[in-house]
Amino acid sequence: MNKNTQETKHPSFINRLFQSLSQSLKKGFSRLGKSFQRFYDRFRDGSTGTKVSHLVMGFGNLTRKQYAKGILYLGLQIIFIFFMVSSPVVNSTPFGWKSLGNMITLGTEAGDLFNPTDNSMLMLLFGVVTVGIIAVFIIVYLSNIKSSYATDLRLRKGKEPTTFKEDIASLFDSRFHVLMLTPAMIGVLIFTVLPTIFMILIAFTNFDSDHIPGQHLIDWVGFANFAAVFSGTGEIAVRFVPVLTWTLTWAFFATFTNYIAGILLALLINRKQIKFKKMWRTIFILTIALPQFISLLAMRNLLSLYGPINSALVNMGILEAPIEFLGLATSATTARITILVINLWVGIPYTMLMTSGILMNVPADLYEAAQIDGATRRQAFFNITVPYILFVTAPYLITSFIGNITSFNIIFLLTGGDPVVPGYKAGQTDLLVTWLYSLTIEESDVSIGSVIAIFTFILTATATLISYRRSKSYKEEDAFQ
Amino acid sequence: MKIKTLLLVLVFAMVSVVTLACNKPKETLVIWVGAESATFYQTQMDAYIVAYNEANDEDFPYIVEVKPVDTGTAAGVFLDDQEAGPDIFTVAHDNLGRLVAGSSAIAPVTLQALIDQINNDNPASFQEVIRATVGGTEYIFGIPYVAQSLVLYYNNTFLTEANVQTWEGIWGVAKAQNKRALTITGTDGFNNSFLLLSTRVTDGTTSLRLYQNGVQEDTFGTGDDTISVLKWGQRFFMDSNGAAQASSSGWEVELKDGLTLSVIGGAWHFNAAKAALGENLGIAILPKFTITAEDAYGTVAAGTQFQSGSFTDTKMFVMKKNSPKAAYLQDILLYLSSKQMQELSFNEVDNLPAYKNAATEFTKMQGTSIEAKLAAAQVEMFAYGIPQPFGFQARYNVYYYQKGAPDIILAILRNVDGSYNTFEQIKARMTIVETIWKTGQQPAA
Repeated sequence: MNKNTQETKHPSFINRLFQSLSQSLKKGFSRLGKSFQRFYDRFRDGSTGTKVSHLVMGFGNLTRKQYAKGILYLGLQIIFIFFMVSSPVVNSTPFGWKSLGNMITLGTEAGDLFNPTDNSMLMLLFGVVTVGIIAVFIIVYLSNIKSSYATDLRLRKGKEPTTFKEDIASLFDSRFHVLMLTPAMIGVLIFTVLPTIFMILIAFTNFDSDHIPGQHLIDWVGFANFAAVFSGTGEIAVRFVPVLTWTLTWAFFATFTNYIAGILLALLINRKQIKFKKMWRTIFILTIALPQFISLLAMRNLLSLYGPINSALVNMGILEAPIEFLGLATSATTARITILVINLWVGIPYTMLMTSGILMNVPADLYEAAQIDGATRRQAFFNITVPYILFVTAPYLITSFIGNITSFNIIFLLTGGDPVVPGYKAGQTDLLVTWLYSLTIEESDVSIGSVIAIFTFILTATATLISYRRSKSYKEEDAFQ
Repeated sequence: MKIKTLLLVLVFAMVSVVTLACNKPKETLVIWVGAESATFYQTQMDAYIVAYNEANDEDFPYIVEVKPVDTGTAAGVFLDDQEAGPDIFTVAHDNLGRLVAGSSAIAPVTLQALIDQINNDNPASFQEVIRATVGGTEYIFGIPYVAQSLVLYYNNTFLTEANVQTWEGIWGVAKAQNKRALTITGTDGFNNSFLLLSTRVTDGTTSLRLYQNGVQEDTFGTGDDTISVLKWGQRFFMDSNGAAQASSSGWEVELKDGLTLSVIGGAWHFNAAKAALGENLGIAILPKFTITAEDAYGTVAAGTQFQSGSFTDTKMFVMKKNSPKAAYLQDILLYLSSKQMQELSFNEVDNLPAYKNAATEFTKMQGTSIEAKLAAAQVEMFAYGIPQPFGFQARYNVYYYQKGAPDIILAILRNVDGSYNTFEQIKARMTIVETIWKTGQQPAA
């Protein structure tokens, strides 16, 4: 088989990624086209009531004596129109249609000592919220047309329109998923989607320590904050790549050291020769029971310059004099290795616990079959136990990796990002997320912080997608069922 | 029957809630002060209301609530949500820049009696840093009520009052005892001020300028005296019996265990220092030091004596802009920042007064208690310091503290890898520091 044929049969990962992306885009556009087609079809094919429902929500339902449903739709439309037209004001900043304009200008009144300044960030936030409300309204609007059209179809088939009671009953039966998912979707929209969009938009503004909302007007600056990452002599340009590199290195080692050590510990405890298994497990689980920050602060004290570990090492003759292990260490490598080791202490029990459960559930007949086939214990381990553990724990491994990329506590509490790099805010153990904290909370460079947050998001989302889609757990979902 | 009873209870509860909601309660006038003073000021405000009610035909229209909020973070918390912020709060004066930035988040003082009190009671150095120009006009925004500066906390079992006159005196004892002479509690721009703000003993001068008169470009940190002082500081920090930043065990442990002989700190370190040393705690102004031939550079001759400096700051009351209770705020502040109130505050909660004649007029200042010594040392340090000059613009504070300059200065002092052995190397690095102070960025390579 020549190389070209091989490439055709097994396209590279990048090729497959692009293929997958292009297919997703095609599917997306196709779905969008179909939605428009359906919208048009319903208008063309629908009854007069359905046609009027395109303008007056609930009209189709009201004409079919579905009063409760019709009034509900009509009420929502009236509330929406009232909200948009009246533009209710909160903290001197309007919602509604005015907020859409404000989202573009980010305010025009510069104010003075005796008059308020437009609060650009509130305007942006209210604009985003209004866009969210419009999006929800569009969904309700389409549902109103769909409902009226569904009634048209029932009538054409000679059936009676459904009553409100039947509609409610269906929510507890055939459309139970709608009932259950709606609050979750609203929660995701309010607490995840809107804040994420808000954060992304901030990255395109000049919100920093020189531009305080309510005191200065904030402006859109396009991609200037993103350009700052790649050019200039500022903190971001100089420290972004080192911090990103350390973040990935940390995430890799923190994940795999915990994973491997946790598995080894679980295997050790599960050995037949080990007595008091429950006691050993309990001892290790105790570290989970303790709040993590207490474990971390205890570790920091144990490792301090005049702490017990330094004293012990000096007394044993391993060190000539006490040394700093964490933020004040003279070498970044010392600090990095120390936090990786401490991370083992707080992380291993999780993997150990999970792996113990998995090991106890490996089907015994697999081992019996292997034994009959003449497999050695080593072969059984590498061909049954390890693949089984890997298969079951792959999603955990991925989430653990992502969690370590955004691992704030351990760095913040142990080193605070130090050892310092003189002249820069980002220290040698700072992760993207702890650096982000310094930039936004300590320096008020919120727009630059948003850029870092976007990069972090892209990094974690990409890593998650790639690794999960390539894992056996995803490809062979039913394999071990 | 049960369902009917339940429904009746529910209806009654709903009606009660609505009735209570419609019955508008008295509004609250909120004041934020540091946690150490909250109870004191609440008591004083309760007394103020009683006096107000007696003097007027009507009751004071608000409930006054004094809340403990860390003064160091109050400005940031307030700016995050100004609408929800207090009517009066307290901040260190160097926060003024960001509070008045743009159209200002705080209101100027307009009551003539309060302006007169501020002008009459405060030292000139404070009067300069409580004013700001907004919209082309200069206003007074802050009302000083507390002062603070760095002092020396030392272990008097090893050091005498004569030893702590000079760093060399402390250093000599440290060498003899094989201990450390000094631990600095932090590495930020506030802590290194004991070197950077040093002034010649003979005439009290220094070439160092930080945002002189509020001008960003009028900043200079590469004068001969600054380089000489840093070279002296380098010797001090590189010697194992000299100075060092606090270890991971904490300066309190080092002071308590006799590992270090002295610590530079503010009034906020007093309780911890007292807990560490108890009766053995001594307090003095920051010592002097003498440039040797090894440190002499340019116009600075060997033998020149310098006095360690300090940022000598004030905490001040400020008022929220457009507070609906604005009509009452300035009268309250006239009362809370009065000389009598500052003396009471010093007597009861050890707040060092901002009042300019406190050292001579306040009885407790004349005492021999350790608290009186702390106050006296701080007052004395005011002759050798300057208020933090960062209130003119919001960015000055950030440039000075947050953009990495303090770490560069510490790197010069520690000189771990020998990169700053020569005066030229120190000066080159200080040029970078100067650029950071001016622009917030390192110069282009």
